[in-house]
Amino acid sequence: MSKTNHTKQKNPNIIYRAFLKCMGNEKWQPISIPLFSILLSLIAASIIILLIGKNPLQAFYNLLQGAGVLPKPVYAGYKNMFTDFLTMLNAMTPMLFAALAVAVALKAGLFNIGVSGQMLLAGYMATILLGYSDLNGVIAKPLVLIIGIVVGAIYGGIVGWLKYKFNINEVVSTIMFNYIVQYVLSFFINSYYIDPVSRQSKYIKDSARLTFMNVEFAGLKMDLSIGIILALITAFIIKFIVDKTRIGYEIKAVGVNPKAAKYAGINVGKNIVLAMVISGALAGLAGVTYYLGYFASIQPKVLSSVGFDAIAVSLLGNGNPIGIIFSSFLITVIDKGSTYMSSTAGVRQEIASVITGLILLFSACGTFIKYKIERGKEKCFEASKINSHEDSTVNSTNVEDTENLKKAVEKDSLLREMDGNGSKETKESILKEENERKEGEE
Amino acid sequence: MDTIIIDGLSFALPLFIIAIGGIYSEKSGITNLALEGLQGFGAFVGALAVVLISKFANVEVQSLFYVALLFSIVGGMVYSMLHALLCIKFKANQVISGVVINILATALTVFLTTQVNSMVFGAVSDKFILGVSSRFTIPGLSSIPVIGAMFKDIYPFEIVIIVIACIAWYVLYKTKYGLRLRACGDNPHSVDAAGIEVSNIRFKAVMVSGALSGLGGMCFAYSISANFSPSIYMGYGYLAIAALIFGNWRILPTLGACLLFGFAKSGGYELGQMLALPSTFTDLFMILPYVLTLLLLIFFSKSNRAPRALGEIYDKGKR
Repeated sequence: MSKTNHTKQKNPNIIYRAFLKCMGNEKWQPISIPLFSILLSLIAASIIILLIGKNPLQAFYNLLQGAGVLPKPVYAGYKNMFTDFLTMLNAMTPMLFAALAVAVALKAGLFNIGVSGQMLLAGYMATILLGYSDLNGVIAKPLVLIIGIVVGAIYGGIVGWLKYKFNINEVVSTIMFNYIVQYVLSFFINSYYIDPVSRQSKYIKDSARLTFMNVEFAGLKMDLSIGIILALITAFIIKFIVDKTRIGYEIKAVGVNPKAAKYAGINVGKNIVLAMVISGALAGLAGVTYYLGYFASIQPKVLSSVGFDAIAVSLLGNGNPIGIIFSSFLITVIDKGSTYMSSTAGVRQEIASVITGLILLFSACGTFIKYKIERGKEKCFEASKINSHEDSTVNSTNVEDTENLKKAVEKDSLLREMDGNGSKETKESILKEENERKEGEE
Repeated sequence: MDTIIIDGLSFALPLFIIAIGGIYSEKSGITNLALEGLQGFGAFVGALAVVLISKFANVEVQSLFYVALLFSIVGGMVYSMLHALLCIKFKANQVISGVVINILATALTVFLTTQVNSMVFGAVSDKFILGVSSRFTIPGLSSIPVIGAMFKDIYPFEIVIIVIACIAWYVLYKTKYGLRLRACGDNPHSVDAAGIEVSNIRFKAVMVSGALSGLGGMCFAYSISANFSPSIYMGYGYLAIAALIFGNWRILPTLGACLLFGFAKSGGYELGQMLALPSTFTDLFMILPYVLTLLLLIFFSKSNRAPRALGEIYDKGKR
């Protein structure tokens, strides 16, 4: 690491400096670093596509065409770019909700890996309770949403409670619940609600479906998703709760440093459960918009990949609800456009998930890139000083100064990382302590 | 009864070897959620090597069993270096890195499998057909009642796993390297003070976990699915993580947890068969291992103690 820096220090070439300039200051880095990661991953994906002998630019262009962002040359009847775009938004809705669910749990330092299971249970409950009923759409649709929220919240609450009460790692418990839900629901669907032809649960009635399918308007047939508007509003609400309210503050405090939070008089256990309840409710919303919106039936014994991709999406969005809107848009575009891309450019559809994976890989290096940029800035600063002052004494003090500065920056960034990661161990020990205290009181 | 033990063992042992990999990594202080991706990628490399060799050297796929195991170990090890690089050198969040590794492994292997199938074999398929490995029975021992079933219809890989597991146990608890590795997970600063590079030990530990996971994945591919396909990402890696947490990050209790999983799984399946219920009911019995884990965790996880520095990025300057 030090070697490369050394060479850069000697000849801080113009490109490197321009790059540093582009990456901007502290304020811009939450935006510029993900963009840089995306750029890197697109370059990496281009290399893969070139290796199999196809034109990457053509492939990316087709990707955007397929998702309805750019116009295709030919359209089927009743379809145009706008309807494609609406279909893409329909697919984006559950992704956005699920990513918000992951983000909220992450704020409390919890890792909700079971979003898929929560989605499945919420979707299933809404399907059997309302999907086959004769209720009017005006009543049924809000009820579907409420069921999704309630089922998801209870599910999440149980996970949080197990963590708080029995110190069960949420990663393990959510994975176990994923399997249990998947198998039990597969049994019920196969026994009672199966459609013998499609081997899925029977299609739900249109009145309960959260997406108006094939609405004819101005000679077009479009899929209008109610969920997407709701999801966008929810993103802003979550942003508000996390940033501006006491609940959000407490959850964040618990996530950053549970020990400090406890000293500040924050109830750690309550906030862990609360964060999981909110996360579960959002996952429930993702479930109903997925199984009763994007699809209208449930495939038994299959967990949707949305819950796992959502982890990625929320990571790419820096855990910020507004960032997540953009990242879920991007990932859905790549995903939805891949079918069209594979049929026109001849690149396999699976490359889409490879691109997604690469984006994640590079965005996981975000802290490292940030650290590198700060180091690079120091170097440039130093180099320019050396160039302007020929005096050797000034030079040496400068170097010393920058050495110190560099160390400070390094330490600072590492400290920040520490904060972000939160120490699991301390949290668990606090939980334990609190439990013991409670037992003592009883 | 015999089938419960036979099937249980053939499920538990690959799970066990993956879990040992996890223990190595986590004992050294690196959270390893990437086990799922590592086992899949290892299996992919093993399967790819075997399929290609059999195509170009005209050898039967079945006879390349040990070649597959070898390649899967190498594949898992190489891929795990990505996790090590992210966690140790790039100082990424270890949980996030693990998830990313998993997602990328699924995407890459599925993409490459279809690509290789269409380019080399001219077939549209996302599978490499491997077949089930041959089994053997140890003559004398297998006639003992009840316990004898442990020696009946053994997959060759079960022996390999047991041997490797013994070596892994010895290295972790009886050698200098093992001591340092465990110290890295509990108090990395003391290791550093003794003049040993923490990142070096951790890097090696993650590579060991990759190698063992790759081997485990290959065993699953050779026994349960009889091919390499995306269905390898069934969650074996996550199950192994549950087993090692349940086993309190120690090898022998983890073996117990894996055996419990294996027998609960095969037992549940047998129970469904015995009661002669319709096939849909097997799904209900499939939840047995998971429910059991949750219940046992409720009772035991209070006394669980993770390695103290698990998931923390090592910083020399931190006190």
